[in-house]
Order: sequence, then C-alpha cells, then structure tokens
Amino acid sequence: MRVVIAEDSVLLREGLTRLLTDRGHEVVAGVGDADALLKTVDALAADGAAPDVVVADVRMPPSHTDEGVRAAVRLRGDHPGVGVLVLSQYVEERYATELLAGSSRGVGYLLKDRVAEVREFVDAVVRVARGGTALDPEVVAQLLGRSRRQDVLAGLTPREREVLGLMAEGRTNSAIARQLVVSDGAVEKHVSNIFLKLGLSPSEGDHRRVLAVLTYLNS
Amino acid sequence: MAMAYGPDTGHPRAPRLPAWLGAPLAARTWREFCHLLLGLPLSLCYFALSVTALAVGAGLVVTFVGIPVLALGLAMCRGFGVVERARARAFLGSRVGDPEPARAEPGTGLTGAVWAVLKSGASWRHLLYAVLHMPWAVVAFSLAVTVWSTAWALFTYPLWRWSLPLHAGTDGIQVYGDGTRAYVLDSGAELAVTSGVGLVLVLLGAWLVRGLAAVDRALVRGLLGPSRLATRVVELESDRGVVVDVAAADLRRIERDLHDGAQARLVALAMDLGLAKEKATEDPRAAARMVEEAHDEVKLALQELRDLARGIHPAILTDRGLDAALSAVASRCTVPVTVGVDLPERPAAAVEGIAYFTVSELLQNVSKHARAHHATVDVWRTGDRLLIQVTDDGRGGADPTRGTGLAGLAERLDAVDGVLAVHSPEGGPTTVTAELPWRG
Amino acid sequence: MTTRSDRPAPAPSSRTGRLGFGAAMWKEVVHLLSNLPVSLVAFVYVTVAVAVGAALSVTVVGLPLLAAGLAGARLVGRVERARARGLLGVRIEEPSRPPRRPGGGAADAVWSVLGDAVAWRTVLYGFVRLPWGVLTFAVTLVALVVLWPALPYLVRAMTNADRAMVRGLLGPSDELERRVAELESDRGVVVDVAAADLRRIERDLHDGAQARLVALAMGLGLAKEKAAEDPRAAARMVEEAHGEVKLALQELRDLARGIHPAVLTDRGLDAALSSVASRCTVPVTVTVDLPERPAEATEGIAYFTVSELLQNVSKHARAHHATVDVWRTGDRLLIQVTDDGRGGADPTRGTGLAGLAERLDAVDGLFVVHSPPGGPTTATAELPWRSRTAAHR
Repeated sequence: MRVVIAEDSVLLREGLTRLLTDRGHEVVAGVGDADALLKTVDALAADGAAPDVVVADVRMPPSHTDEGVRAAVRLRGDHPGVGVLVLSQYVEERYATELLAGSSRGVGYLLKDRVAEVREFVDAVVRVARGGTALDPEVVAQLLGRSRRQDVLAGLTPREREVLGLMAEGRTNSAIARQLVVSDGAVEKHVSNIFLKLGLSPSEGDHRRVLAVLTYLNS
Repeated sequence: MAMAYGPDTGHPRAPRLPAWLGAPLAARTWREFCHLLLGLPLSLCYFALSVTALAVGAGLVVTFVGIPVLALGLAMCRGFGVVERARARAFLGSRVGDPEPARAEPGTGLTGAVWAVLKSGASWRHLLYAVLHMPWAVVAFSLAVTVWSTAWALFTYPLWRWSLPLHAGTDGIQVYGDGTRAYVLDSGAELAVTSGVGLVLVLLGAWLVRGLAAVDRALVRGLLGPSRLATRVVELESDRGVVVDVAAADLRRIERDLHDGAQARLVALAMDLGLAKEKATEDPRAAARMVEEAHDEVKLALQELRDLARGIHPAILTDRGLDAALSAVASRCTVPVTVGVDLPERPAAAVEGIAYFTVSELLQNVSKHARAHHATVDVWRTGDRLLIQVTDDGRGGADPTRGTGLAGLAERLDAVDGVLAVHSPEGGPTTVTAELPWRG
Repeated sequence: MTTRSDRPAPAPSSRTGRLGFGAAMWKEVVHLLSNLPVSLVAFVYVTVAVAVGAALSVTVVGLPLLAAGLAGARLVGRVERARARGLLGVRIEEPSRPPRRPGGGAADAVWSVLGDAVAWRTVLYGFVRLPWGVLTFAVTLVALVVLWPALPYLVRAMTNADRAMVRGLLGPSDELERRVAELESDRGVVVDVAAADLRRIERDLHDGAQARLVALAMGLGLAKEKAAEDPRAAARMVEEAHGEVKLALQELRDLARGIHPAVLTDRGLDAALSSVASRCTVPVTVTVDLPERPAEATEGIAYFTVSELLQNVSKHARAHHATVDVWRTGDRLLIQVTDDGRGGADPTRGTGLAGLAERLDAVDGLFVVHSPPGGPTTATAELPWRSRTAAHR
C-alpha cells in the first residue's frame, strides 16, 4: 500500500512513517503543509502513481486552523480513488459531516490518540485505502447524541445501539463480531433488525451502509 | 452593575399595621418630617451665601479677582453638598455617592485648582441646588408644618379641650362667631367628629410628608450625586478589575489543571518507563507489563490534555466560528439540543469566546440540574447586540442569585456590558437570555 | 481614579510645518476654501434639525426627531474632525458615545442623546461656522489672486482659528468623558489580551505536549506489540519513549510556568522573581520590598513584566549585570529593571516592549524606558496597587 503523510510535527511524521513502514507499507512522501500535500498528490497522480491513501493532520501551517480538512475535501473531489484519513487532536462532528458529504467511500476521521493502538490504527488505514470508512468512536457518539431521531434510537436495544455505533465507525460485520465476541450470524441479525427499526433498506457494501446510517442520523 | 448609591434603607421593619394606617406612627415619617423642618433654615443659609458669592464673583469677573471668588463660592456650594448628602443619609435614608471631585492637573498649583473647580459640572450643579432648594424649602416647610400640626391638633382635640376654659376663656374651638353668637365645638358628638377629621388629616398628612421628602430626595440625587458619566467611570473601572481578575483566575486554574492532571500522569509514566527500561533484559515479562501500563497511562494523559485544551479554547471556534463550535458543545450535552445560529458575519474573537463559554456553561447547567428532555440554543444579532437564548423544558426553579455558576456568568457578562436574564418558574420551562455588545 | 500624564497631547500646530509655500500650506488653503461649502451644509442641517425638532417637541414626535437630529450632528462632527485631521494635521480624540444603561429602552436612548453635550456643542459649531466659512473663503480667494506674498501668514492665522474651533467644540468635552473612552478601550484591550492568551496556550499545548504524547503513545504501542517477538527492539523503543516522556514533561513544565508559575501563587513575587532571575543569562540582583502581597492579578502582571524585561536583557542587552527592584509608593507598585548593557532599547520598535506598554496601559499602569546608546538601560513600570483583600469581594 502506498501512503502519503501530511503532518507538520516532524516527530509525528517520522513516527507515522516508521510505524507504517514497519507494517510493510510504502510511505511515498511526507509533507508538512496542505499546499505541499495537494501538489504532491497531483504530481503523483499525473505520473500514474497515485497513492492508495493520504494520512493528513487537521491543523497545519500556514494558518494552523483547519487546512487538513479543507485539503482532504479537495482531494476527495479531485482524486476519488485516493482514500483520505484525517487525524486530529479533536474530533468535531462538523468536520466529519464535511468529510462525508456525498460519499463515505475511502474516508476516515480519527483522533490522534488512536495511533496508540497500532494494529487497529493500521487496520483503519488499510480500510480507508480500500475504499472503506473509519470514523472515530467519539464522532459517532456525537452523531448519535445529536441526532434528532432520538425517539427511534430509543427503540433499539442496548446491543443494537452498540452495533449501530460500530457500523457507523465503518467496521465490517466480521470486525464487529470480533469486537463484541459474538458470531457473525448474530451480528447480521442485529444489523437487519436495526435497518428494519430505522426504516432503511439494507445496502450492500460497508461504506454504503455507513452512509445510510449517517444520513439517517443527520437528517 | 456598579451602583453609586444603594437602595433606600428607611423602610419600617415588618409593619403589623397596613402601610396606610401605620404611616403616621412610622419612624420614617417622623424622620422625614424632621428633615423638612431642618430644610428651611439650612437652605436659607445656602441661598444667601451662594447668591452673594455668585453675584460678587460675577460682578468682579471683569477684574481679575472675580474668578477666584467665584471658584471659592462654588467650592462652598460643594461643601453644602457634603452637609446635604449627610442629612439625606441620616433622615431620608438615601445613600447618594460623592460627585466626581474637581481635580486639578498635577503641578498647576492654585490656578489649576481654581480652573478645575470652575470647569467641573458638578460644582455648577451644586450651585443650582443651593439656589433652587430655597423656594422649594419654603413651600415644603409651610405645607408640612401646617398640615402636620393641624392634623395632630384636631386628632387629639378631646385630650386637650379641658385646657381651653382655663387658659383661653372658651369652652372649645370656636368655628364661627360674630360677637353675639358663637359656634363652639363642645358637645360629645362634635368632639368625635373633630377628632375623626383630625385622624383623616393625620393619615393623609403622613403621605404628604413622604411626598415632600421624595422631592427632596430626588433633588439631592439629581443635583448632588455623581453624574451619569462619573457613574459610568466607576462602573467601567470595576468592570476592568473584574475582567483582569477573571483572566488571572483562568490562568491559575489552567496551570493547576495541568499540574494536577497531565503533569502528574507524565511523571508516573516516566517512572514506569524507567523501570521497564531497567527490567527489559533481565525480566522481559515484567517489562512488557510495565510497558502496557505506561501505554494506558499515556492514553489517559492525552485524553486529559484534550479536555483541558478544549476548556481553554476550542480549536473549532477559531476555525469555523460559533455555529460549528456550539454544535459540538450541544453534541456533548446529555439532552438533545437544537442549535440555531443566525449571524450575518463572525463577531470579534473575544466576543465569540464569551458567547461560546456562556452557552457551554448554560448547557452544562441544563445537563446537571434541569432534568430536561430537550433544549434549544439560539444566537442572533439585533442592532449592535449579540443575543443568546438557551431554553429547556426542565423543572425550572433556576435562581441566578444562588449557586456560583449563573452568578459567576452574570458577573462575567456584566463586566463587558452584557446582560444575563433568567426566567425560570418552578416547574419550568427555563429561558436564559444573554446579551453582549456586538464587536465585528 | 488616577490621572495619567502620558496621554497623547493634541498635535502642536508647529507639526504642520514652517511657514512658506509648502505642501502643508496648500493643504491649509484647501481647508479654508472647503470651509464655505462644508459649513453651508452643516449650517443648513443643524438649523433644520434643531428647528424642526424643537418646534415639534410640544407634540410627542418632536423629541425623538430632535434626538435623531442630534445624533446626525455627531456625524457632522466626525466629518469635520476627519477633514481637520487630513488637512490641518490636528488629531482630535473621538468623543465617547453618550452612556446608556444596558437594556434601557428607546426612551432611555432618546433621553441620553438629548442630554449629550458633545452633540449640542457640534450644533453650536454648525451655527458659528457659516459666517466664518464665508469670511475665510473670501479672504483666501482674494489673497490667492492679489495678496499672494502675504498668503502663508494669512492662511496660517486663519487655520489656527480653525484648529482652535475644532479642538474646542468637537473634541471630547472633559476629563470624565476622556476617562470613559479610555476605560472602554482599556477594557477592550484587557478582554482581547485575555482571549489571545488562552488561544496561545491552547496552541502551545497542541504543538508541544500533545504532539509529543501522540508520538510517545505510538512508540509504546509498537513496543507493546514487539515485546513478545523481538524483545531487543522493544527495549530500544522503551528507551526512546523514556527520553520522549522526559522531554514532554519539560515542555509541559515550561508551558505551565509561562501560564502562571505555581511559586508565584504559593510564595509571592520575591520567590517567583528569584526563580526568573536564576534563569536569566546574566547575574541578576532581585530586591522585593513589599509590606504585604498585592492582589493576585497585580502580582501576575508584575511577574510577567519582570520576566519579559529580563528576557529582553538576556537576548539583546549584552549586559554583565542586571538588577530588579520592586517596591510600593502610596497606591502604586513600582518595578525597576536596570542593566549595564549596550542600551539603545526602543519601546516603540519591537513587539516585546510595545506589547508590554500596551498591557500595562490597559490597567492604568505606566511604562518608561530610559536607554541611551551605550547604556545603561533603566526600565520602570508602575502599576496601581490593589490589595489582596480588595480583590476578593
């Protein structure tokens, strides 16, 4: 897997590079600001060697505000095939909504803390690179808490709420089953129950169903 | 709000009689009567002295001497003001603050002082008081003395009628007489009627005294008190103090949070790692356990630092403004919150910050105390004010004077010319409205 | 209440240049010629506004109308001040707005405008300007055509009268009004500084300790996974992490000290300043002579003043020795920092000293730097003394 890293703290950039290299992925470029990120990806794509995934920090020079999110949104428009994983010290539901606008294909938004769990983090990067979704549990909690459909959500069993949260994070059925230590079949049953209760038509493909869930929560 | 004077303190304590009955006997009425009595002689003195000084000063103004004389006269009027304010405090219970002093520029000596007294508006207002108060005092004195003494005399007539035959040679008060016939109040019924009329007069007279005293109070407050501008200066000075203190307290709190939170955790982490480093070769299993502990520790430290940083200044507020930042706050509230922000443009960073912390404090209150099912937050602009309204359908009964949360918030808002209004009847719903001056 | 002597004085007329046919004079000529049209408009406006408002004031409509007219008159004042600033070089402070009770209704607003001395003075200005405008226009025109050798003198004389009028009638009326304006801006500065402080701290945390901790967490995560399969690599990672955590601690400590040093809260200025002095690159003698501890906010400002000044000494002064003295005189807290360095410090240049002056100014403080080239440098700061008990209300 070919990765481009955009992160202004040299320490973290080196750390991420080492971590991904260690897991057998190729870090093709490491840049320190959003402009450089856009240029690098454009150049790589022009050579026909577009990266599989971009890992970008939110707060970068020159203005140290939300460059990362803006660049990520642009990348998603210009290079739909490139997965974008945004890392930040904070997760804000607003940025999640911006990132997910239109499609949840190949997009991720995680707290920087998550790199501490190396395996899960690398899994998330791989998932995003393959067109999946990786949303931080905190964002999902915010979305669930903020949703105007509290009446319907209240109708879910605690287990179903848990499954809904993991689904919104972008996990596959088998990953959910592993996390909750239940069988794949049990998860499938929960999922179809949830879709039934929310009045959604079951979608194929993990990212499609993430989108369905998120649209539902945001509406 | 910084007030230059407190509320009147002359109210009778828990009257057992209804106010309209108790008034003639209330200490307050008698104090005010004394005030009116004293008013005439004093104001005659003020008038005579100040008019003389004014006339002499104005007359001599063409020569050089007039100006200091005038200044001296004005300074004297300021002296009268001191006496009058003390008198109003003692008899009327009305606490009027000292007006702004006439302060000379440093180093200008006597001429500076003269000039300062002449230039100060307060001096001239004192002069106006000295002149205006005399005619008023004459009216007030005559009315009060006549009505009050007549009223009491009639009311107590049955008690002192016995002295009339002894000293005046009549059997009672003579209402009408033309030498041959006289109509004298001496029968029992007449006594009763007279006393009854007296009672009515006493009851009414008390309120007359109070009315006259109220005019005096207004005169003192309006002419001898600090001007609006001076009051504003006092208010702003206290505001600035509050802002400085709050900022300093914020910094101390942050330092303490850092110290007790992340720093302490990092020290523990450093120790764990130090041990793990030592054990790494000799006891790899123990080392692995310590690394695991350290790993948990560092995740907690990150979590703490994140919460702390968000409490200091949420990054999303700088990046995206109030709408996005308030949505984030709302999503962390324990009850569902609808946020509506309707602003044509972003206000100044400091205003945004205050608005943000106001809402986040109010929503915290909702989470903690309101037992609500739903809350709404609305932010909009009217003219040069930024308005914030937070409502919830909880149990109500929020009291801004009790509890530090709302009171502290009100103080913070007050310090920047903001207003906090809480409407929270028992049983709800609660509406809190905050108003801030708009700065773009 | 304190009176400050460092208030910028109105620009002396000599600032506008020497007599002669320079650019300054032509600007003055333009001003004199423009007097007529401008004063005509102003006169018509104030006459109509005041006459209509006053005439109608027997009905209810008149008073708000008059108030609106007066509010408009303030606008006339603003235009005139701008004209005088541009053409005559007279800098007049904006008069403060009439004070209003927050939350007061429309009646309160009308009332406060009607009692607004500034607006009434502007109306007076509008009345007296018309005859003067006619006069100046005529004289200047004549002088331009026939009396041009006397032109500079005439122009200067007439514009001086203009300056006096603008200053007397359009400036802030008195001490109190100026004080209100000053306090309002002070409060704004204090609020902005506090907000900026918080943003800076958040930024420092984000870029410093938080970033380092994320790196650390990542390293430990890797080490944890490696522990079983490759203990030697794990040990190396643990060692790195250990170094990292010590750095993070150091960073947090520095940040915390920059926010508010704990020793200041615990022990007061003397101890806190000694600790600042010990971190200075030159030897520093610290003398704190205070009968009691001042209010916390005052202590904080004093601390940051000294620490900023000593940082300057470390960075720029090339001094061998510095002294810090803190004492109280009456109701003022005085701070003096001297060094035997090369001098030449300029508080108007460089953000450090200028920022310090602004911060002190906002709390009625004073900041004076005496620093001839070649040294020595003496920086004196003065703060209003607030006692600890007064701050806790």
